[in-house]
Amino acid sequence: MDRDQETKGSRDRVSDLSLGTREPLRCSTGAAEANPAVVARGLTRVYRRGAETIRALKGIDLDIQCGEFVGVVGHSGAGKTTFLNLAGLMDRPTEGRLTVLGHDVGKRGAGFDALRRKNIGFVFQEFYLMPTLTAVENVLLPTMWGRGNGEGRMSNVELKGSKHRAEELLNLVGLGQRMTHKPSELSGGEMQRVAVARALVNSPRLLLADEPTGNLDTLTRDGIFNLLLALNRDSGLTVIVATHDLSLESRFTRVIRLEDGEVKNG
Amino acid sequence: MIWFILGFKNLIRRPTRTVLTVLGVAIAIAVLYSLFEFQQGYQSRLKGELGALGAHVMVVPKGCPYEAATIALHGGKWPRYMDESLLDKVKANPGVAEAAGVIMDAVFPPGGQSVIMLGIDEDYMKLRPAWKLRGSWFTSDSSIILGPSVAEDSKLEPGDLWTLPEKNETLRVSAVLGRTNTQDDGFVFMPRRTLQRISGLEGKLVLILIKAMKVDQTDALVASLKADEVDMNVFPLSELLGTISALMASTRVFVSAIILIAIILGGVGVLNTVLMAVFERTREIGMMKAMGGSRSDMFKLVWAETMLTTLLGGLVGVGLAVVSSRLVEAIIRGMIPYAPKGSLIGFSLPTMLFCIGLSLLLGLLAGFYPAFRAASIKPIEAIKTE
Ligand SMILES: Nc1ncnc2c1ncn2[C@@H]1O[C@H](COP(=O)(O)OP(=O)(O)OP(=O)(O)O)[C@@H](O)[C@H]1O
Ligand SMILES: [Mg+2]
Repeated sequence: MDRDQETKGSRDRVSDLSLGTREPLRCSTGAAEANPAVVARGLTRVYRRGAETIRALKGIDLDIQCGEFVGVVGHSGAGKTTFLNLAGLMDRPTEGRLTVLGHDVGKRGAGFDALRRKNIGFVFQEFYLMPTLTAVENVLLPTMWGRGNGEGRMSNVELKGSKHRAEELLNLVGLGQRMTHKPSELSGGEMQRVAVARALVNSPRLLLADEPTGNLDTLTRDGIFNLLLALNRDSGLTVIVATHDLSLESRFTRVIRLEDGEVKNG
Repeated sequence: MIWFILGFKNLIRRPTRTVLTVLGVAIAIAVLYSLFEFQQGYQSRLKGELGALGAHVMVVPKGCPYEAATIALHGGKWPRYMDESLLDKVKANPGVAEAAGVIMDAVFPPGGQSVIMLGIDEDYMKLRPAWKLRGSWFTSDSSIILGPSVAEDSKLEPGDLWTLPEKNETLRVSAVLGRTNTQDDGFVFMPRRTLQRISGLEGKLVLILIKAMKVDQTDALVASLKADEVDMNVFPLSELLGTISALMASTRVFVSAIILIAIILGGVGVLNTVLMAVFERTREIGMMKAMGGSRSDMFKLVWAETMLTTLLGGLVGVGLAVVSSRLVEAIIRGMIPYAPKGSLIGFSLPTMLFCIGLSLLLGLLAGFYPAFRAASIKPIEAIKTE
C-alpha cells in the first residue's frame, strides 16, 4: 500500500538521522540508562475561573525515563493536555515538584523559553502550521527566531545547515516531494508530518505529542504513529504521546493512565 | 529579518484589508505632503510676488492717508506736496532697499480724455522689475514713456511726437510700456524734472515709494520712518501685506490642525486593523511561541508588520500626492482667498523623506499596543483545542 510504503521508507531513513554532526536526539549524553526525562512529585495544577476551581491534576507522581515511548491515556478531561503542557514548560504547576530534563520547574519565574526551544518539540492535534509558509519554511520556523540569552545570531553557515536539515527532516517524514507546498496544498496526514519535522528541527531531547492523530483517519494515523515510534526506536528520542485512542495503547513501551487528574496504573 | 518576512507574508494574506489600511495611511500622508508642500510653496511664491510688487511702503504728505493712497493709485490732482529733500532722508534709512520719488499731475482737457502724468527717474524702474519697455528709457528731458492703454488710445509708437493738451508742450515717445495690468498702463511717464517744470512744482514730490529690505519687516520700517519725520504719512502700500501675513499665520494653524487630524485618523485605523489581525491570529501566535518564539519575537513580528503597512502607506501617499498635485492645488486655491500664481505643490525630496519618516513613526506608535498584546498571548490558552 502506498502509505505503508511511505512509512517504511521513512523508517529506514530515521536511523540515518542519528544526525552525523548534530548531537543525537537522546535525552542525555550520559550512558546511564536510568536517566529521568520527566519527574513529577505531587504535581498539581488547579485552574481558577472566577469562583470555580478545577483541579486538573491532583498531585500525581511519575517518572519518565530517557528513551521511553510513553502513552498518556485517559478520557476527555482527565488531565492529559494539562500534564503535557507542564512537561513541555508551557505552563507552571500550582503545587508539587516537576523536573524536566534535569531542570526544576517552579511555580513561576521566567527563563524556560530558551530551554523549551532547544530541548522540547511539540506536535498538536491541530497541526498549527503557518498558512503563509511552505512546508520547508514551516519546518525552519523554530530555528529562525531571535535567539536571546547569548545564543547569538545564526551565521550563514548555520542557516544553510538548518535549511539542509529541514529538507532532510521532510525527506525523513516522507515529504521530500512536498517541500514547497503550502499547508493548504497538503493533506491532513501530510500536514502532521510537516509538524513532526518541525518539532524535530531544533534537535529536541523530548518530543511531546498531544493527540497527534486525533484529526486523522486510521490509515494516516498509523503512518504518523509509526513515524513517532521509529523516531523513538532508531534515534532514542524520548516521546510522550497523549491520546484517548485505545487501539494505540499496546504499541507504547509504557502507558500512563490518567483518570480525573490522578494516575491510575497497576 | 524573520519578523519582516512573516509580517510581509501576513500582509499579502489579506490583500483587501491590507490595501484599505495602506490606503488610509496613504491618504493621510498624501494630505500631509500636499499641505506641507503647499504651505512652503505658498510662502515662497508669496514672497516672490511681494518682491515683484516692488514698493511696500508709501510716503505721502500729511493728510488723509487713504485719500492720498487712492489718488496715488488711481491718479488725480494732488492736494499737497512734500519737499524733495525728504527722499534723501528716506533713502538713508537702513530698512529701505530702494526709494523712488514721484511727482504726479493730471490735465483734464474739456471733452477729451484726462491725462495722468507721473514724473519719475531710474529709481522707479527698480520698483517695477516686471516692466518691459518697447523702445528705450528716456533719452532726453522731453522723452516720455506711454502706458499701453494710453498708447493704444492715441495710436502712438516709439519715436512719435505727443502733445500735452492744455499746456504747450511737445514730447517724444521713447518707449511704450508692455501691459502690466496695473494702473501704470494708463499713465504717461516722463522725467521727474520735466514734469516738475511743466507743473511749476520744482523741488516737490507727491509721494515716495519704498521697497523694504525685508518684506516681513515692513511694519518695523513704517514705524522707523514715522519716527524719522513727523511731517509725513507713512503706510504700507496696500492692506494686502497685512492681510496676507495674517492669512499665512492662520493657514499655518489650519494646516497643522488638518495634518494632525489626518495622522491621528490614519494611526487609529492602522492600530485597529493590526489589533484585529492580532486577535484573529491568537492561535497562530500562541503556536509560534510554543515553537520557540519569545515574547520579544512576537512583539517584533507585529511591530514589523505595522511598520511595513505604514511605510507602504507613506510611499503610496507621497506618490499619490505628487501625481495628483495639480488637482489638489486647484482645490486648495478654490478654498483660500488669495493665492499667488505659479505651481505651489512641487516635488521636494526633504518633504518626501519627512513624510516617509513620519509614516514609519506612525507605525512605530500604532504598532506598539497590538505588538504588546501579541507578546502577551499565552501559548497554552491560544492553542487549546475547543
Ligand atoms: N485553562 C483552563 N481553565 C479552566 N479549566 C481548564 C483549563 N484547561 C483545562 N481545564 C480543565 O481541566 C481538566 C483537564 O483538562 P485537560 O485539557 O488536561 O484534559 P484532557 O485530558 O487533555 O482532555 P481531552 O482528551 O479532551 O483533550 C478539564 O476538566 C478541563 O475542563
Ligand atoms: Mg487534551
